[in-house]
Amino acid sequence: MKPLHIQLETTTLANGLRVVVAPDSTAPVVTVGVYYKIGFRLEPQGRSGFAHLFEHMMFQGSENAPKMQHIKLINSSGGVLNGSTMYDVTNYYEAVPSNALERVLWLEADRMRALKVDDENLRNQRDVVKEEVRVNVMNQPYGGFPWLDMPPVAFRNWANAHNFYGDFADLDAANLLDVQKFFRTYYVPNNAVLLMLGDVDPKEGLALAEKYFGAIPAGAPPPIADSSEPPQTEERRGYVDEKFGTLPAIAAAYVLPRRRSAEWHAMALLDQSLHGGRAGRVYRELVLEKQIAVEADGGIDDLFGYNGPAQMTTRLIYKPEYSADQTLDAFDTVIRDVKEKGISAEELEQIKIKWRSDYYSTLEGGRGGYMPRYGLMHLLACFTLFDDEPQLVNTVLNGFETVTTAEVQAVAAKYLQPSNRAIVFRAPVKNEKEAA
Amino acid sequence: MATRAPELAVGVPPLSAERAVTWPKRTHAKLSNGMQIVLAESHSIPKFHGELFFRSGEALVSGRSVGLAELTAAVVRTGTTARTSRQIEEDLRRLGADLGVSAGQDTSAISFAGLSDFVEPLLRLVNELARDAAFPNTEFERERRQKLEEVKLERTSPGFLASERLRKVLFGEHPYAKISPTEQQVLAYQREDLLAVYREIYTPENSFLVIVGDFDPQAILRLIESIFGDWKGAKPAAKANPSLPDLRGRRVYLVHNPGSVQTQILLGCHAITRKSPDWIPLGLTNSLYGGAFNSRLVMNIREDKGYTYSPRSGVSPLREHGYFSVSAAVRNEVVAASLTEIFYELDKLRSVPVPAAELADAQNYLSGIFSIGLATQEGLLTQFATSALNDLPDDYLEAYRDKVRALGPLDLLAMARKYFDSANMQVVVVGDKEQIQDQAALFGEVMVYDNRGNLLGG
Repeated sequence: MKPLHIQLETTTLANGLRVVVAPDSTAPVVTVGVYYKIGFRLEPQGRSGFAHLFEHMMFQGSENAPKMQHIKLINSSGGVLNGSTMYDVTNYYEAVPSNALERVLWLEADRMRALKVDDENLRNQRDVVKEEVRVNVMNQPYGGFPWLDMPPVAFRNWANAHNFYGDFADLDAANLLDVQKFFRTYYVPNNAVLLMLGDVDPKEGLALAEKYFGAIPAGAPPPIADSSEPPQTEERRGYVDEKFGTLPAIAAAYVLPRRRSAEWHAMALLDQSLHGGRAGRVYRELVLEKQIAVEADGGIDDLFGYNGPAQMTTRLIYKPEYSADQTLDAFDTVIRDVKEKGISAEELEQIKIKWRSDYYSTLEGGRGGYMPRYGLMHLLACFTLFDDEPQLVNTVLNGFETVTTAEVQAVAAKYLQPSNRAIVFRAPVKNEKEAA
Repeated sequence: MATRAPELAVGVPPLSAERAVTWPKRTHAKLSNGMQIVLAESHSIPKFHGELFFRSGEALVSGRSVGLAELTAAVVRTGTTARTSRQIEEDLRRLGADLGVSAGQDTSAISFAGLSDFVEPLLRLVNELARDAAFPNTEFERERRQKLEEVKLERTSPGFLASERLRKVLFGEHPYAKISPTEQQVLAYQREDLLAVYREIYTPENSFLVIVGDFDPQAILRLIESIFGDWKGAKPAAKANPSLPDLRGRRVYLVHNPGSVQTQILLGCHAITRKSPDWIPLGLTNSLYGGAFNSRLVMNIREDKGYTYSPRSGVSPLREHGYFSVSAAVRNEVVAASLTEIFYELDKLRSVPVPAAELADAQNYLSGIFSIGLATQEGLLTQFATSALNDLPDDYLEAYRDKVRALGPLDLLAMARKYFDSANMQVVVVGDKEQIQDQAALFGEVMVYDNRGNLLGG
């Protein structure tokens, strides 16, 4: 197996902005990302959904690039752009032909330095976000299942437990002062990392970073989210109505060990044993063998992308002739088995090979097929902002390669406990009348 | 139309000199059994991505039932004469591989990706699935039951209901009209039906293998010959399909989805296939209309009016026919307002030549995103497969950007007039009829359906 080595050049500007360049001139394309260390968890109480609404506002205009110009300038350079809001970070990214690098940096710097939006922009994007919530959640079968259903059941700290897409009343209450305050507090260079990946000369990339971002003043260090949870002593359960779907569904989630601990590495491979596609134990038992469920998937979503409580979540959609108890029993049989017997050396070896293969694919593409190196960008950003160690992209696999079968069983025994688990039951409100 | 004129950006750095776009060399080959092959190197990661296509899918066997090719594909991966379902899945994991078997209207395909260290064992598994699938009866029954639940469930998705209705309207008696089976059809499937489809479609003479990755193409070609070379089988006979309905006049099809808090709009008309000489100019016209974030439709009904989150338009090419469509999920109060803007922007492109600066922006966009695919193995695979399956000229990829840049405003005007057929556009709306029927009726005669496709009335 060829050893992995991704060349990195990094620096920190005087204003605290970290810069990471990963050059690779195979194709004349460069991916640029700016990550801010602010996500759902930190949005103010009474302003649920604000981190995401704010992300939309970042496309609404800055001092030298007014409304519509960000999108127009990237598209007309032959590139694509987007942004997304996560638990602990918000990102903005572009993939462009490499001759547009300087233009992209100028745009990102302009909106980091001077966001310029008005009430009309805010009203417009509030409407757009409401349609986003309707199309993804309120008007879809299993909309928001389980990513919006699980947090209020599993967690007690508002930071982890609230509605991340936002209650409409909270979205309506958001005003321009909130926008300005949020921008001043969190969107400062010392709370961000700039990434350039692909067809870029490292020296030139670092020089352009200084040229466009160097003069942006640093801000006060932003507050850090207290996402700590009170100890959980028993299983938590919640019930949600399914308005459209025809089948009942269950999501069961266990809280993960602390990020980058030895247990966390073992848990990631245990997750693969349970949820690694059709070879995974949950799919094999519930869909292929016992044939209770029609869908069984889930696991740890975005393992490297969290800096606070996170879960391994199983998602089951099952046949109507089975009860919730029968389905949960079948799932618990899988869990009991792995706790009592662990996994074989052969299974662990298979999982490690697949893990390595998946890691390569993540680096090349990852989420969002139209964004080359999205995955590499995401890992570099999280390793920089959470761990202050971008070089982890080259070494992080080692921690998984050395996990033993004993460690997998130990982490199963310790973490796959009712007192570490939350379950959401989502049952159709209508009976089979309409589908019969 | 936009209510607020956009302001201009100040001090934008110019683009620097463009770097040449160089597509990797392709190795073309054809085995004596008729299997066609395209191979290309890409060393971005120590992996490879491939797809074994068969040039037939649902449309070929639609006379027997709907969805047979798709269920055949699903059962192919569940067992061969040499391996059980569980062995297949564990072998894939051992090779660090992903694999999928699927079928569309015109093709069936086994797609795969894995570590370069394990090319040979993965190709051997693909070969086994293509030639020696066993169709275990228990796996067939399980997949059929899952399909039955799936066809019930999809009737609750507004996007599915809209696509289903539009395809029925546009394609009439042609097989492309049916995108999913009924429950009765699923219940009537027999294992023997699937076996017959498999024997007919999965043959070397009907196949096309495309692989991109971190390998030496000559070594892979020898390996392919040794693995697939002794496979025999002719391609299926071509089938004539009914012609399409001649759709004159704008009609509205309302699919009643009680309790819907939003309306899914989908409208469309006949267009072109991938082989048409109009493909590139229509693609450019579409990208300017609603195919890009920066397009007129998105800027109008999202960025200006806030009616919707994700409006878009596109040309969907099937092998025999293609269609143009526009979609937007909008709040119930603005169904009429959204349709007004959708038609306004179509008619504007049919009436007024595109300004030179806007055209140049769209040309840059289309030629730029074309080369983004160069950066990943999957992106390259998609481009090579599209070229191969549509028998496009060898230099299609190399010539694409120049062709986009050679187009002028009058070319786009001609495309809009020819294909953005607003007067005869068929309009589907999926939502709660109590809230939207009056608005929909402003755009043509309305026919109302329930979510199972039954006509409720006009």
